[in-house]
Amino acid sequence: MSDTQWPRYEVFQQETPDRPHRHAGSVHAPDAEIALLNGRDVFVRRPECSSLWVAPASAIFGGTAEELAAGAPPTGDVSGETVEFLVFAKVDPRGTLTHVGQVQAASKRRAVEEAVHACGPQTPFVLWVVPAALVTRSEPGEAAPLFSPALDRPYRDQAFYHIQTALRRLRQESGG
Amino acid sequence: MKPGLRSPLAEALLALADDELILAHRDSEWTGHAPILEEDIAFANIALDELGHAALWYRLVADLREEDAERYPDRLVFHRPAGAFRNVRLVEHPKGDWAFTIVRQFLFDSAEQVRLKALAAHPQASLAQTAAKILTEERYHLRHLSAWVTRLAQGTPESKHRMQAALDHLWPLAGQLFQTLPGEAILVDAGAWPASPMLGIEWQAQVTDFLTGCGLTIPARTSPDESGRQIHSAHLEPLLAEMQSVARLEPQGEW
Repeated sequence: MSDTQWPRYEVFQQETPDRPHRHAGSVHAPDAEIALLNGRDVFVRRPECSSLWVAPASAIFGGTAEELAAGAPPTGDVSGETVEFLVFAKVDPRGTLTHVGQVQAASKRRAVEEAVHACGPQTPFVLWVVPAALVTRSEPGEAAPLFSPALDRPYRDQAFYHIQTALRRLRQESGG
Repeated sequence: MKPGLRSPLAEALLALADDELILAHRDSEWTGHAPILEEDIAFANIALDELGHAALWYRLVADLREEDAERYPDRLVFHRPAGAFRNVRLVEHPKGDWAFTIVRQFLFDSAEQVRLKALAAHPQASLAQTAAKILTEERYHLRHLSAWVTRLAQGTPESKHRMQAALDHLWPLAGQLFQTLPGEAILVDAGAWPASPMLGIEWQAQVTDFLTGCGLTIPARTSPDESGRQIHSAHLEPLLAEMQSVARLEPQGEW
């Protein structure tokens, strides 16, 4: 079967402005703008959120500590010019990938080396680098329409309606 | 609020609530069937938002009629016959293809945004606050819908064709959104409501700009269907039959 999916984007969510962005998961989208909207709908409808970043999965280089040590070459590397990379690391085996900072490098491979170096003696379990220019971010002014409505729902919980009780009684009355 | 205005205000808000309710039901029919998983989730969210907006308006109607704000909305939704609904015919139409749904939702949300902006400045605080609250969510809807209208209108020849066909069908129906609402004439005279035909001019200018910018053609003016909100198409009754079926199993039931 041919792959009819849109490209995959990784979504990073910031819960409050004083916390780092953390990897929330992936969405499919035809472009970054839709990826941002899909990320909002899939990951931040209920939980608290102040900002979202999305990056095409194809732009991300990294992997587990073992994979990085094995030295798999990055695909589609940047063009030799020094650019900024965002660094995401998982330092706790049960934690999530978290934005830990930026490095300047002329290639994805160099960016990973710089990032590992910057992490010091504690090598992360998973490390991702992504060119900052390929990250699409929600605008601060969009926080209200994008994220705040989810905090206050006017609907009733389904338990309000006592549906199970009512259906049981109806069944008993109809002798079913 | 002057006592004489309570009843017409309830009429006008009931019309807005019914629009939201019926559209929410049509939107919810996509759940599990949208073209891609992410959009399925997004559209289910939009349907749920519209249902929430309906609930807010029904609650205000209950207050104005001095009815129980918890129970009265259920009576309105589940125990009124089709002839008592005041929604526009635009929202009753079956969901059609994805282009039809996107164009309808875009026309509706953009219209709603124009009206809500005016209502957010209403002197009655509960109404102004409700409008402002709904407006926040509508800004997101409109962003989502605008993104899709642009991409489908400028996508493949087939997507463009389907979008134009949807617009041709829906444009005359959308005009009904800005017909004078039930109760509106008394409210406008008292300076307590924005006149719908005036809002309609603003809306039409906005969406014409946007849609033509996307390469779509606004249909030529056809003779508008002037029949009011008490007249419904054949599509409303089957919709209500499904929506009301459980509640009507036991009309006196405590749900």
